[in-house]
Amino acid sequence: MFAAASSITLPSIHYLAILPVMILVGASLLLIFLTALSRRKISQGVATSITSAASLAVVVVTYFQWRNLDSSGASTTIAHAIVLDGFSVVATATVAISLLMATLVAHDWAVRERVVGAEYQVLALAASAGAVLMTQANDLVVVFLGLEILSLGLYVLVAFDRHRSTSGEAALKYFLLGGFASAIFIYGAALVYGATGSTNLTTISYFLGSNVLLHPGLLYAGGALLIVGFGFKVAAVPFHLWSPDVYEGAPTPVTGFMASIVKVGAFAAFVRVVISALGTQSETWRPILWVLVALTAVLGASVGLVQTNAKRILAYSSINHAGFILLGIWAGSVRGVSSTLFYVITYAPTVVASFAIVTLVGGDGDENHSINAYRGLARRQPWLGASLTVLLLSQLGAPLTTGFYAKYSVLAAAIDVGGTPLSLIALLSAAIAAVFYLRWSTSLYADDHADVARVEVPRATGLVIGAGVAMTLLFGIWPGPLATLCQHATLLFTP
Amino acid sequence: MAHVTTLLLLLPLLGFAFVLLNGKNMNESQIGYVATGVVGLSFVASVVTFVLLLHRSDRQVTVHLFNWIDVGTLHVPAAMLVDPLSITMCLFVTGISTLIHLYSISYMHGEKDYKKFFLYLNLFVFSMLTLVLANNLVFTFVGWEGVGVCSYWLVSYYFDRDSASSAGKKAFIYNRVGDVGLLLAMFLLFSRTGTLNYLGVFQKAGSLSPTVATLVVLALLLAATGKSAQIPLFNWLPDAMEGPTPVSALIHAATMVTAGVYLLVRMSPVLALSSSGRLTIAIIGGVTAFVAATIATSQKDIKKVLAFSTVSQIGYMVLAVGVGAYAAAIFLMVSHAFFKALLFLGSGSVIHSLNGEQDLRKMGALQRFLPLTFPTFLIGWLTISGIPPFAGFWSKGDVLTNVFAHDKPLWVLGVVTAILTAYYMSRLFVLTFRGTERFREVTHGHDPHESAWLMTLPLVVLAVLSVLGGVLDLPWIHHNSLAGFLSSTFGYVAPIGAQSTLSQWGLAIVDVAAALVGLAAAFSIWRSRSEDERLTPPFLEHVWYWDDFYDATIGRPLERVAHFSDTVVEEEVIDGAVMGIAGGIHRSAEGVRKIQSGFVRHYALAMALGIAVIVVYLVARAG
Amino acid sequence: MHSSLWLSALLVVPLLGSIGALLARRRAGLSYAVAVVSASIEMALGVVIFFLYNSHVKGAQTFDFATRHVLAAPFGLAYDVALDGISLFMVELTAIVVLLALLGGRDKRREPSFVAWLLILTSLTMGSFVAHDLLEFFVFFELTLVPCYFIITGWGGKEANKAALKFFIYTFSASAFLLIGILYLGFAHQHQTQGSLTFAYGVLASTAMSHSTAIWLFTGFAIAFGVKAPIWPLHTWSPLTYAEAPTAGSIELSALLAKLGSYGLLRFAVGLFPLALADVRPVMLTLAVIGILWGSILACTAKDLKRFVAYSSLAQMGFITLGVVSGSKIATVGAVLLMFNHGVLTIGFFLIIGFLERRRGSYEIVDLQGLQRPAPVLAGVFTIVMLGSIGLPGLSGFVSEYLILIGTFAVHAWWGVVGATGVLAAAVYLLWAYQRVFQGRAVGANATIPDATAKERGVLVPVVVLVVALGVFPHPVLERISPSVQQLIEHVAPAGLHK
Repeated sequence: MFAAASSITLPSIHYLAILPVMILVGASLLLIFLTALSRRKISQGVATSITSAASLAVVVVTYFQWRNLDSSGASTTIAHAIVLDGFSVVATATVAISLLMATLVAHDWAVRERVVGAEYQVLALAASAGAVLMTQANDLVVVFLGLEILSLGLYVLVAFDRHRSTSGEAALKYFLLGGFASAIFIYGAALVYGATGSTNLTTISYFLGSNVLLHPGLLYAGGALLIVGFGFKVAAVPFHLWSPDVYEGAPTPVTGFMASIVKVGAFAAFVRVVISALGTQSETWRPILWVLVALTAVLGASVGLVQTNAKRILAYSSINHAGFILLGIWAGSVRGVSSTLFYVITYAPTVVASFAIVTLVGGDGDENHSINAYRGLARRQPWLGASLTVLLLSQLGAPLTTGFYAKYSVLAAAIDVGGTPLSLIALLSAAIAAVFYLRWSTSLYADDHADVARVEVPRATGLVIGAGVAMTLLFGIWPGPLATLCQHATLLFTP
Repeated sequence: MAHVTTLLLLLPLLGFAFVLLNGKNMNESQIGYVATGVVGLSFVASVVTFVLLLHRSDRQVTVHLFNWIDVGTLHVPAAMLVDPLSITMCLFVTGISTLIHLYSISYMHGEKDYKKFFLYLNLFVFSMLTLVLANNLVFTFVGWEGVGVCSYWLVSYYFDRDSASSAGKKAFIYNRVGDVGLLLAMFLLFSRTGTLNYLGVFQKAGSLSPTVATLVVLALLLAATGKSAQIPLFNWLPDAMEGPTPVSALIHAATMVTAGVYLLVRMSPVLALSSSGRLTIAIIGGVTAFVAATIATSQKDIKKVLAFSTVSQIGYMVLAVGVGAYAAAIFLMVSHAFFKALLFLGSGSVIHSLNGEQDLRKMGALQRFLPLTFPTFLIGWLTISGIPPFAGFWSKGDVLTNVFAHDKPLWVLGVVTAILTAYYMSRLFVLTFRGTERFREVTHGHDPHESAWLMTLPLVVLAVLSVLGGVLDLPWIHHNSLAGFLSSTFGYVAPIGAQSTLSQWGLAIVDVAAALVGLAAAFSIWRSRSEDERLTPPFLEHVWYWDDFYDATIGRPLERVAHFSDTVVEEEVIDGAVMGIAGGIHRSAEGVRKIQSGFVRHYALAMALGIAVIVVYLVARAG
Repeated sequence: MHSSLWLSALLVVPLLGSIGALLARRRAGLSYAVAVVSASIEMALGVVIFFLYNSHVKGAQTFDFATRHVLAAPFGLAYDVALDGISLFMVELTAIVVLLALLGGRDKRREPSFVAWLLILTSLTMGSFVAHDLLEFFVFFELTLVPCYFIITGWGGKEANKAALKFFIYTFSASAFLLIGILYLGFAHQHQTQGSLTFAYGVLASTAMSHSTAIWLFTGFAIAFGVKAPIWPLHTWSPLTYAEAPTAGSIELSALLAKLGSYGLLRFAVGLFPLALADVRPVMLTLAVIGILWGSILACTAKDLKRFVAYSSLAQMGFITLGVVSGSKIATVGAVLLMFNHGVLTIGFFLIIGFLERRRGSYEIVDLQGLQRPAPVLAGVFTIVMLGSIGLPGLSGFVSEYLILIGTFAVHAWWGVVGATGVLAAAVYLLWAYQRVFQGRAVGANATIPDATAKERGVLVPVVVLVVALGVFPHPVLERISPSVQQLIEHVAPAGLHK
């Protein structure tokens, strides 16, 4: 009996590993309490500073996590459900930094749009917690958990702008389709469990490594559904259709937040599941991924050609980028993992900064997103124009910006494992995408612009834009440190 | 000797540079005299070089200036080869140039681009000397092209006249066709012998296969036909008469146009290797001589007559080369330089006196107005007609004798041409100086006036030379005459079969008879009239419609090709393909965009389809 | 062996210049002055390097000033520069082009950013020419597009945006093949050596590969460089772009960036895949001669002077390509020399066209006539440049074209023959253009245009001097080019023989 009693033991908990999630969740709870306790709505300033503090804290924590890895190596905790490895640490840090940048942008936006209350920050913190959880998940159930936390937060954030009906509409779409995707994902998880007897990625991998499935159909179907679920989150064609509408409808700072956080979280989990857990079956998944890469890269680029709305253009641009990141996963090698990581951590700040500028140009009511709103911007405000130009060139993949090395690294990974044709397809799609980036940046320097009012650049947002541009250029000129970091930020295990 | 020869070459260039740099603060006559002076000095230098060369046992001196192009096995120095052939050329080139420079000082007086004229002229002399002195084909090519471009500039000297600019362009392009020949000849020789140095090529010439040798000879012939205005590239020369008359005299009669003949003579050791090649040369020469002569009978412009006469005379020279009579060719070249320069300058003086009128029908009876031009022109006329004892008789006789020895049909052609020559020259002479006055309206009733001494002096000198030119190479002193002097430079001189003195006399008589027939005919016909449709048929007047033929067969087709390439191939096909791809992507994007309907059900459907496809694929894979 | 700092200076000086120009934007004309000064310093550096260059560095083949620093090991990215007799003259050309483009193509609209872009472009071009590492080369090569794009769109003509976009996408797509090829080569090498990923030129040259692989890679490289050069039929971006670009832009594009194409073709395509070249040589030679003839034909139909030069450049690039792929040492030396000479000649053309445009507000041929009377100096310089490109002996064009043709003829006679006819064609279209623009009677606005100003003459002098000097005494140039070409050919020849 005693034995029975003692046999119920809590799994050991490595607190350093889950500290980031705890910080983020804690911060959001703190904000909720403050809102509840304080008589009148708490100011944006307070909310923002708490959120920023939390995200900075996470960054600091990741530093110690990294140190810890050097000493004691990668580890799992909470019954192997959570993993602490270089990959998760770097991804977590990226989430935190994106959160910080997005929060600062949202602050100025909230002030401009006279949004009151801390709900935004609460949800953003929660969603980020979900994203971090995804980067650390070593169990399909935990992945799903993170996915849902992330998604639920975002559903509400997308609907956050009460003035614009499109905001709510977009949220509804996102919610319905997202629910569909989640269902597919969890069903896939169930099938995989049925096939392998576990939801733990490590166990799955060992099982598949040590057994030969006589009837792999179950596993195949499960894996396929998991890929579809991720495909939806990262907006891979043909599961991308929601993203342009949602990107357009959501409040612009939220769009930026989504574009960065979701990509980091979803791709991190994607890598872990496909490469760590199902890696032994790679020859089964790679044809599927091959097609996804080709479709996503090419369609994202081409359909972007015919867009006239800044946010939609960026939506298709991000689809095109998703294609490139998938290329790294397709490679499935160690180099593939690090290149995927390199891509997302360089892409996140760029895209947040880009949407920061779109937020500013959007102006009161967040309506002014026609591409024409940008004509002559660089003439009126050289610095703002130059910043946007740099960010666009980076997404175009011009050398001496991080965008070039991001593309370069995934192409290298793909070619390393013999993916030359696919790489060529992807790179040519970049040439197509170049058209709309160039059109946009050219219109910035147009002379024939009517004298529009200057775009106000609040301090916080300006800071974010500056930081984004700085990172884009700095690591574009000198990618060495980041490249090495990603090289060392390995997964717990890759078969 | 090296220094003298270097001077001989560089003096005209120095003159050019000097006038170019401080022509601003020089007046007309200063410019003129400087330009003339340097050429004169260059003549002196030639004489000195000549004398020095005579006193050498080996008459073959190479003067190395500097290494021009030096890559791998290709070594092209800027170096001169002084030998009898080149020095002979130098002597008459610089000599005649001096006279014509002198003449030009007064003739070009008051022209807008007076300075430019003399710049070009000096540059021309320099190029011509480079051409004849070079010791390798590439350096020769420098001169070859140099004279070409100077001719281009001087023909289009009155560039605001479209006819002039077109003529210059035509001259350059026709020459360019020939140049391709010269280039190919060089390429062939280099690829087979590994050198382009004349002496080197001659040494290795033996190793050339007959085919290659023939190809080389034909390529050289192409070059010669371009530069020396032979069929099929002869019809640029008449247009070149757009240039000022001194230019016609110097470049388009005496010197440049004979460069082709010089090149062939210079390459005689290679010519020696291909009898078929030589025959082609001979035929081209003979036919050109005849065709040009026929055309000359029907021209109304005094300079045009002389131009075709030049073509015809060069035809004789080429003919001579073809039968291996190189010495005869050079002999005719030199004497022709004398009398043709004389005739051109004379006609220039005539034109001058008639305020620039060139139409023979507006002349006549000028004899008593031009006391100095008339007698000198008379001498020129008799010389070219081949009346003894003038130079023309001897030189042309020399050629015909050689032709007779090798090829009877061509000889007949040559004699007929001789008749025609006498005929058209006499026609020219009669219409200009005899008959009735027809020039009054161009001179507004005034009397034509004789030109200044600067212009008449060269006439006199050239007249004297035309009279005495024959002594250069009299048949009975061949050994220590021009022929003997030159013989060392020829790889192979066709043996003039042991011709009895009798047959020589016979040939001489035939020549004279031919000349007299032509003279008589011309006088009897043209004494009384100034034009006659029957005797100047359009076919001849329009140069056998040669230009129209080229225009129809080459010019217009090329234009059509160009237009087609531009509007169809370039725009529609090549660029069309590129823009087609771009357009295709754009259109398909528009299509795909339609899926983006905004309806959730459509999106869900798309997702479901995607899943379906994947599952089907996997089932297929699993099963 | 000399300090590599000289080469780094070549890259840094223009960058500093552009920064300086932007900082000095407040005071009118100051940024222009800054730009001119830095361009002059660049020119001075060029001269110094010309004399310092030593082709006999032990173990470095004919490369000098070499250095290598790895920047990002996982990417195999390194800063690796070196200079040989071939790149030496590309460097000189770059320095000359930027200086003359600044002096002759001054554009007062938004001058600070204009000169800044020009200087950045210069630095990047320098980088491409001294890069001794494929990835590094690609970075510079690709990046040159950006300044070009903004120069054209910012200061170009009415159609500028369209032209620039076409130019950018055309080139960008083509260089996709290059990047993929480079990566493929790098990994092929890494898989063989099991060493670290590297793209160092000297190292990759030794990569073993199958015949078909070599041909694929060569093709990929050839496409990228063929668009840049341009090589027929990848040229259709150039007429529009040259026509719409501002004078300085046209100069940069045709005189300089085109050479990136031919230089890349020689250094990387020919240098790394001799085996493949041996097989595709007939194709390349044919494309080259087609380019010569095609350019000549279309030059005759060109309606404006800039398109005219664009097509004549196509013909000239045809000559260069002919020499580059011929595999003959003489022809290759000629090709390298022609890269330089054509650059200088094109500067001359576009400068004069720019001056005429200033005077007449048009470069349409129909608007110009009889200009030789009012503007003899401009006409004279144009004549010299024209005769230079016709290939008149004694001027620079001849030496290079002659070497190309005689070299090619020796190894591939028939292409040499066709190429030789290109010499004739050049005379046709150039003289015709000259007749239409400068000869005939000048009436109306044409009759009264002023001749070249003292400043304009000053800009034209270097062009004329170079055209004449390199025609009369090319020896100093040839003696520097030959050894390096020798190296390249020796590497190419054996593979070329036993295929």
